[in-house]
Amino acid sequence: MYKLGIPRSLFYYYYGHFWQDFFNALKIDYLISPITNKKIMENGMKIAGSEMCLSLKNYLGHIDYLKDKCEYILVPRISNFKNDNQTCTNFWAAKDIVNNLFENKILNYNVDIQKHQTLKKGLFKIGKVLKKTPLEIKKAYHYAVIKEKKRLKKNHQINQNKLKLPKTKILIVSHPYNLYDELIGKDIIKYLKKRKIELIYSDKFDPKITNKLSKKISKDLYFKYSKDNLGAIIYCQNKIDGIIFISSFPCAPDSLANELAMRKIKIPYLNLVIDDSTSFTGLETRLESFLDMLGGKLND
Amino acid sequence: MKDCYLGVDIGSISTKGVIIDDENNIIASSYIWTEGNPVNSVKKLLEILKEKLDKNYQIKGIGTTGSARKLIGLMLKANIVKNEITAHAIGTLTFYPNIRTILEIGGQDSKIILIKNGIITNYAMNTLCAAGTGSFLSSQAKRLGINVEEFGDYALKSKNPVKIAARCTVFAESDLVHKAQVGYPKEDIIAGLCKSIVLNYLNNVGKGKKITPPIIFQGGVSKNKGVVKYFKEILKEDIIVDENSHLMGAIGIAVLAKKNKNGNTYSLEMKNLKFQTKAFECNHCSNNCELLKIYRNNELVDSWGSKCGKY
Repeated sequence: MYKLGIPRSLFYYYYGHFWQDFFNALKIDYLISPITNKKIMENGMKIAGSEMCLSLKNYLGHIDYLKDKCEYILVPRISNFKNDNQTCTNFWAAKDIVNNLFENKILNYNVDIQKHQTLKKGLFKIGKVLKKTPLEIKKAYHYAVIKEKKRLKKNHQINQNKLKLPKTKILIVSHPYNLYDELIGKDIIKYLKKRKIELIYSDKFDPKITNKLSKKISKDLYFKYSKDNLGAIIYCQNKIDGIIFISSFPCAPDSLANELAMRKIKIPYLNLVIDDSTSFTGLETRLESFLDMLGGKLND
Repeated sequence: MKDCYLGVDIGSISTKGVIIDDENNIIASSYIWTEGNPVNSVKKLLEILKEKLDKNYQIKGIGTTGSARKLIGLMLKANIVKNEITAHAIGTLTFYPNIRTILEIGGQDSKIILIKNGIITNYAMNTLCAAGTGSFLSSQAKRLGINVEEFGDYALKSKNPVKIAARCTVFAESDLVHKAQVGYPKEDIIAGLCKSIVLNYLNNVGKGKKITPPIIFQGGVSKNKGVVKYFKEILKEDIIVDENSHLMGAIGIAVLAKKNKNGNTYSLEMKNLKFQTKAFECNHCSNNCELLKIYRNNELVDSWGSKCGKY
């Protein structure tokens, strides 16, 4: 029995490394659910409501995997950040949904800047639940924050370096929990990488920069991750050959962001919506023709 | 002996075959229903083409496109397998080098391709649902008790097309039933349906795309005069419909097969070929991949669907 279970889905793709640093420093033994496989996804579908998005269904599958293996399961409520940056409603609701569907003890903290609930306060709260002293928590927090800052800087730098390469470059606009998930977006990445395309990921840019840039597309954007994603498009649209926007069905924030991008962007653009359909054939047709178009293969 | 090239476009609803010569002239063509069995329909198609083909020709290249392109590519040992968007663009550009916009509505999908100076600059394809495509039209034709081929003629008779929800086929269908039950004449309903196909297309696939003339309309649905009429009316532009508009994908892939010829000569004799697929689920790990093994004359030629590469 592990003390803590971390589902490898949704929040994990934003906070996964940070959490690992934090809990390692606190010497908590935790278990991260495995890379999504069919069984996890299928269990998630069974548990979830039919109106939930594919990513949330997947998240519940990961919780289901952890439920008998850990004392606590980590489910934060991430609601909003500085400068009126709201997150998707699933991020608000995850804790209550898990609480209603599972009997496990939940380790929860809130990030709700409008109510002065910061990440720091949140981590102190869960540190206390895990019976750690304030000093230990403080040390662990600072350790994790410094490493996170370094990681952010490094990722941003990698993206910038990629933008200078003399290769066919595609910006992948997506939420990381869709893009890097084995059963949602990974096949698309694998397909493109096999064909020697340089991939630039929208989530690897420094959100401080991309968030502001999104104002050039629209000043009325509501969701933080839509802002970050659209800002990334503005950031590099003159340095790339095309954009692929990947979202899960039925993502409401993405449906708006996609509409905006499609209307305002002048370079080749492809939108892919992923549902639980198991066949890659439809996606392959779209990707192959998109690459044909970028490669100008029609002219030889 | 003169050289010729075969292009096969295996769509969800219909299977198209075209044989062209070195000057891109069509020397034989055929259009039959897929009926859910691409292998059999291609065998049938080849029999028909064999009858039509002059004995002085030998086949020097085979290309496949459409949703069953990979499977049939293996079966025919094609020298090129390409997606239908590329194939459609190449087919169209062969005959209409100045074209700017290609509208295409097929059996399961619809697409728009924008071209400038003979280069594709952008395209879009329906994302998730098959609303407003050929399969929807044929199921509605069945419901109304008429042949899908007569659809266009009915639509042209109408002076007053009914309004039908254009977004989703589920709503469109219930609208259609309601309109029929309150007593609207059949031609008005059919015209309304054709109009809703156009609106649906422009709102989904064509959304945010700048449609510049000259415009060509192709795919099976382009044979429907009603849909063509409403495209003209709504876009306020002339719409070209080629007599071979339903074959354009097959022509395109035949042109590509010609460009990629490798010296081999192919035969159309496939009647006795044993081409089988066996599906099974691998229980090696929790991914439970659905695998498909493909046998050509009892010899394993490929297997698909494995995530880990074990097969």
